[in-house]
Amino acid sequence: MLRKILILTACILSSLIYSCTKLEERYEGDLTASQVGGSGSSNTTALLEGVYTSLRRTFTNHVEVFALSVQTTDEAMVPTRGPDWDDDGQWRQLHQHKWEETHVKLRDVFNRFGGTIFAATDLLRYNPTQQQEAEARFLRAWSMYWLLDLFDQVPYRDPGESVIQPARIRKGSEALDYIISEIEAIAPALPDGPAYIANKWAAKTLLMKCYLNKGVYANRANPTFSAADMNKVISLADEIINSNKFSFSANYFDNFAPNNTAIGKENIFTQLDVAGVYPDNRMRNTWVLPLHGSQGGSNGVATLPTFYNKFEATDKRRQANYPTTGSPANPGNRVTVGFLVGQQYNLTTDVPLKTNAGLPVIFVPEVKSIETDANLELTGIRPIKYPIDYTNRDSPDNDFVYFRLADVLLMKAEAILRGGTGTSAGIYGNTALAIVNSIRTDPARNASALASINLDVLLDERGRELWWENWRRNDFIRFGKFLLPFEQKNYTSDPKYLVFPIPSEQIAVNTNMKQNTGY
Amino acid sequence: MQLSIHRQFWKLAQRGLLKTLLIMKLTTAFLLAACLSASAKGLSQEVTLSEKNVSLNQIFKEINRQTGYTFVYTESLLEKGKSITINVRNASIEQVLELCFKDQPLTYTILNKMVVVKEKPSISRPDVAENVAPPGIKITGKITNDISDPLSGASVAEKGTNNIAIAKEDGSFEITVAGEKSILLISYVGYESKEISLGNQTTISIKLNPANQALSDIVVVGYGTAKKKDLTGAVASVSSKDFNKGNYATADQLIQGKMSGVQIINNNGQPGNTTTIKIRGNSAMTGTGQPLFVLDGVPLDGRSLLANTNPLNFINPADIASIDVLKDASATAIYGSRAAYGVVIINTKKGQAGITRIEANVTNGVSTIARKIKVLNAQQYRQAITYYNVSPLSDKGGNADALDAITQTGIQQNYNLAVSGGNETGKYRVSLGILDQDGIVRKTGLKKYSAGLATNFKFLESKKLGLDLNVNGSQSLQDIPYTASAPYGLFFAALQWNPTDSLKKADGSFNIRPSGSNANPLALTELQKENLKTSTILASISPYYKFNNWLEYRLQMSINYSSGIRRTSTNQALVPNLLTGAASIGNSELTTQQITHTLSFNKEISPNITLSALAGYEYMKFKMKGFSMSATGRTSTGGFGNYGLDYTNYIQYSDANGRIITSFVDPLTELQSFFGRTMVNLKEKYLLTATIRADGSSKFGKNNRYGYFPSFSAAWVVSNEKFFKPSFVNSFKIRAGWGKTGNQEFPSGASQAKYSFLNNGVIGQVNNPNPDLKWQSDEQYNVGVDFTILHNRVSATIDYFHKTTTDLLFPSFPVQPSSPGSVVRWINLDGNIINKGVEVAINSALIDHSDFSLELGVNATFLKNTVSNFPTAIQTGRLEGLGVTGALIEIMRNGLPANAFYTRKYLGMDKGTGRPILVDDGTTSYYVGDPNPNMLLGVSSTLRYKKLSLVVNMNGVFGNDIFNSTNLNIINVGGINAGRNIALDIYKAPVKESLFNNVTASSRYIEKGNYLRMSNLTLSYNIGDVAKAFKRANVFVTGQNLFIITKYSGFDPEVNVDRSLNGVPSLGIDYAQYPSARTILIGLNFSL
Repeated sequence: MLRKILILTACILSSLIYSCTKLEERYEGDLTASQVGGSGSSNTTALLEGVYTSLRRTFTNHVEVFALSVQTTDEAMVPTRGPDWDDDGQWRQLHQHKWEETHVKLRDVFNRFGGTIFAATDLLRYNPTQQQEAEARFLRAWSMYWLLDLFDQVPYRDPGESVIQPARIRKGSEALDYIISEIEAIAPALPDGPAYIANKWAAKTLLMKCYLNKGVYANRANPTFSAADMNKVISLADEIINSNKFSFSANYFDNFAPNNTAIGKENIFTQLDVAGVYPDNRMRNTWVLPLHGSQGGSNGVATLPTFYNKFEATDKRRQANYPTTGSPANPGNRVTVGFLVGQQYNLTTDVPLKTNAGLPVIFVPEVKSIETDANLELTGIRPIKYPIDYTNRDSPDNDFVYFRLADVLLMKAEAILRGGTGTSAGIYGNTALAIVNSIRTDPARNASALASINLDVLLDERGRELWWENWRRNDFIRFGKFLLPFEQKNYTSDPKYLVFPIPSEQIAVNTNMKQNTGY
Repeated sequence: MQLSIHRQFWKLAQRGLLKTLLIMKLTTAFLLAACLSASAKGLSQEVTLSEKNVSLNQIFKEINRQTGYTFVYTESLLEKGKSITINVRNASIEQVLELCFKDQPLTYTILNKMVVVKEKPSISRPDVAENVAPPGIKITGKITNDISDPLSGASVAEKGTNNIAIAKEDGSFEITVAGEKSILLISYVGYESKEISLGNQTTISIKLNPANQALSDIVVVGYGTAKKKDLTGAVASVSSKDFNKGNYATADQLIQGKMSGVQIINNNGQPGNTTTIKIRGNSAMTGTGQPLFVLDGVPLDGRSLLANTNPLNFINPADIASIDVLKDASATAIYGSRAAYGVVIINTKKGQAGITRIEANVTNGVSTIARKIKVLNAQQYRQAITYYNVSPLSDKGGNADALDAITQTGIQQNYNLAVSGGNETGKYRVSLGILDQDGIVRKTGLKKYSAGLATNFKFLESKKLGLDLNVNGSQSLQDIPYTASAPYGLFFAALQWNPTDSLKKADGSFNIRPSGSNANPLALTELQKENLKTSTILASISPYYKFNNWLEYRLQMSINYSSGIRRTSTNQALVPNLLTGAASIGNSELTTQQITHTLSFNKEISPNITLSALAGYEYMKFKMKGFSMSATGRTSTGGFGNYGLDYTNYIQYSDANGRIITSFVDPLTELQSFFGRTMVNLKEKYLLTATIRADGSSKFGKNNRYGYFPSFSAAWVVSNEKFFKPSFVNSFKIRAGWGKTGNQEFPSGASQAKYSFLNNGVIGQVNNPNPDLKWQSDEQYNVGVDFTILHNRVSATIDYFHKTTTDLLFPSFPVQPSSPGSVVRWINLDGNIINKGVEVAINSALIDHSDFSLELGVNATFLKNTVSNFPTAIQTGRLEGLGVTGALIEIMRNGLPANAFYTRKYLGMDKGTGRPILVDDGTTSYYVGDPNPNMLLGVSSTLRYKKLSLVVNMNGVFGNDIFNSTNLNIINVGGINAGRNIALDIYKAPVKESLFNNVTASSRYIEKGNYLRMSNLTLSYNIGDVAKAFKRANVFVTGQNLFIITKYSGFDPEVNVDRSLNGVPSLGIDYAQYPSARTILIGLNFSL
């Protein structure tokens, strides 16, 4: 019996020795917060890289910010092409101003900017250098600006605050004031360049956007513009111009070409893409989405004829043959960038392309929201802003352009038109007309000089210069055009559509968040 | 001893002590015994009596009820007996009889399952050596069991006489019978009796089959076994002889349709692919909702290492002895936090003491596609071009059947060999298996090699120390259709291929269409590859020590390692504009370690109370890690090229820019548990079970690391009550139980902040930690009855269950701003999913003769599923493909079943416009269908005539809807305008549909999923022993999936394509998956 007791005791003891772990969760391929903070500045470099990375898909994917800021205007539309592109009506709802708070793109965009705001805020916990902190806060301000512009509400947290609790909210002008104060606070610590990192000139351009749109965020239905704000826009523009860092490129499309990091002289702020390096680089969508299947595309987005017709035939911004490294021979000298219209060709053999069913691939300008005709694959003009990177088609080298010199100049011209005082800076003139004509008559654009200018003309010029650059909705609201009828939306929309609704998920999980008026 | 009884009996008969009446009774009794031994089987060999001053007659009836033993006596004889008082528990029949006959003027002998009562002899017993045999023919022979082991002690009786012989140790016997017309009755406890007409045979070998032991069966429960009669919970058990017959790659398919309450869905027809198992309905809000699998006491991780690979592939079905499914919470709660979706316990075959035996089986067969989706053929396509007035250029002038071209007649071969044997102190079984199964789709298939070793040792003179050791190793190689989406998905391509276009050009090369057109499905089978290789080893060692006959300590340690390698390549010839090609290699490794201590106690603590108890501690560790790389060819040097080699073999040749490499290590997950169980048996009438498990998991937040999972259940064996009268009911038990189980199936690293190393020098937080995360709770009530009637010929189990899932572990929306790219935040969602239902299982031996028998088993399950108290509706069922990006068609919403189809309501086709009419013009979604079945049915039957037997297994699912996404966005009408093929049904529809209709999800694509399948039909012939070498030879022909009765238009209504959204699973969506096979197999089993 004693022996049995001994054995039993031994068993129980052995089980105790082997047992009763504390069950601490150990990461083996990841880090806890304390491990991140523990080892000096190299980690903040990696964290900051993460903040930049968090923005890449938001813009390069061309179905996120692009869908909300371009497809909701006269610039673009994704027609439902018979069996293709219905996608539960999401594209139609955007173009026709019929979205609801459950729209999937609203959720995606809100989450993406929320992610960047989080990553930038989180970095601040880990003792970044002054410049790292400035870059992170700039990227946060940039994301907050977009949330303000699209949703009018900006959620925020302090560094290290739990992500389980509801976040606090800044709305409208309060949010704008915060963004302005942030940019002004960090600008001195920002570097001079290059364009693909947060820099002084990007900060000034963003400040221009803030002051130019200040009246909009105060009252989107009836914005007013103060001379003081407009003069602020002008003086910021002059600082940028006088830096002499930016000038017109030899070819308008150089700014968007695969090697635009080197040759895009107008670019002030970009998202860096390096061929084949960033898995979240979705720049291929800029050509995959509009191109026809026979061209290797998915036959989606198209431009509306009225928008296309705003261009003169000689305007090099409209279409061009722009060869890039590795691009096909193009013996027929066919149009490869800009707006594709009419018969399309095999760029290697110059054979006219045919659809799978044997019809010639001829893009016709007229396009309907729901296509139900035999040529439903072929309606709509197809815009290609970024020249195709043939050597890295899936993960292209083209940097996505956020801010460009031409935008700065056009904003300056607009500020003058809206009551600001004209100043002379650089070679661009001191009146709105002179500035606009300096852009139009630049050999890379080759458009005729305008005789006169007003806000409507300026809006058109912004459309021609900045097509596919995500500013059309922002411009339309500032110019009071957003709600008015345009092609494939033949009615005036309800004013509630001037802001997007907060995605329903966020309303459900954040008690501080109240739905925007009307939704 | 039996021999002496026989002789004594013989003597008594000779002396005429038994009256004529008794002899007559004996004759009938023999006949009766022959019938009853089949039906009496299953009853307990133990007796519990508590009687006061009752007659022997009454006692005998009671013993008969409990044990099935028949009593033979004359009325006058019994009148001599005295009334008795007796009080015994779990006593053997011999002990009870000893007590009953003590002080009686009577005595008894036990013969087979008969108790012959007689007067105490007044004369002293004569010398047993005496042998007086009647004159006649001497017959010699041998009695063995179904696996050719000798049955020592079996009785051989000459029918209609008292002439009986008993088999010796080697199974041989000798009996002298009256003549050629004599009939021999052979019987042995636990085996089915046999009647043999002698004819001119003088030497015969006789094989007895084990009796169906439905009620006395030992069933496997958590961390131990129990007698089925002692069970208080709902447990279903299937042993190897009742498994589905045929070649199955995985264990779960062996029991499809065999158990009530258990739905097994083969997600598609690809060999070795995953299954969806739903025990007692659909309650998974996250994760897979798969039950916990326990193999020989080792709880498995259960995760698939590679997509499209079943985690149970590594177990060779030929090595499985039994599969038990624990269904209700009182049975599963001992497994605590991993038991919410039920527990499936698989035990493998073990060695038997005795001669060394080699068992072999060979199965070969062919399979073909069982059902095709109907699309237009070339002739119909030409007519359709005119009918729809589309471009005549769509007629390419050829004639191709793409589905036919990519499918094949698959050959399959399965070889299994097992060697087993041993003695009292060491037993072993070694097995090898090879399965080589071609898919029904070209270039697809499964090869599987498995090996198993099971040993059981006993040490010390006392044999108190023992050691069980099991090792299973396996490697499976799957070639599957590359899992790409449209247009390069193989089945999409085949269904959409223009049937007037040839698949190959005149020169024999593939007709590759220009970019934007259809992919050539035949070219896809050649030029696009996905190979999966999984290697698994599971080793467990379990020493135990029996302190005495009531206390045992056992330790089990196991390690389960698997590695999966996935290689894919896309030949550059497939995509005309991109002459680069692509390749990827990925590897993942999963290691699970377990250590379990159990102390079990089993003792009769008073004559009326038996207590068994178990206490245990378990620690488990789960590790998973892996890496992958993918690359494309380098454009400037002509891509990967056409050297005829697999691109994954020289992936370093790729373009440096396009390489993507990743690696990961999941956080180590630890699970620590303390558990206990107590079972009390009061007077064999009242059974009580209580279990508790405390589980701690490193996955949860500090505040809620431990979860507690109790259960209580009780059973009342009504038929053991004195007042229980109905004679046609042999046993009747009522069970009731309640318990709680949990679920920890969510990603590790959800409760504390996790920063990952991302691409290109990025470190970032990738989760939204919730330190308050706690256990999901599944609470279940169960009430059931078990009964047998008509001399135990019919046994039935009926259960009602009610299961409520609360505190659902749910990937909720993040509260912005939150970590980039992480679209979820794990929370415990307030809300209930309730599953309730009734399960019925009936087994019967309708006819049971030695030459002819018919058994029939039917099980049916009726289910209802409801979602309630959710704070907000949750959507899932994310469709994919042209025209449906972003479309969600399933919802978890209060008042609806889980995964309810929620989309536009379709009213019909407008005759004028050919456009679908949708309620509210399609702007509103409605509840339009339920993917959950409301009834499951399984039927199995065995018909045997002499050596020939026919086994039929059918299963059916009723009341569920399927969303046919294939019809919605692969073969819709618009395809013909784009030069693709369309569904034949659309062309034949009375209303001509407009070519330009949007692809919009609506109830138009919801179809009834009802089906009844002839899952397998086996005709086998039992050759028996051939020459001296081959024993138990058996040949058979099996048809798997011979036919299916359904109105569903897809390949197979048994389908479940994963269209989950953020981890919330979908159910009942079809999207042109690998079609199912119909298989014909022939096979041979034998042993040496």
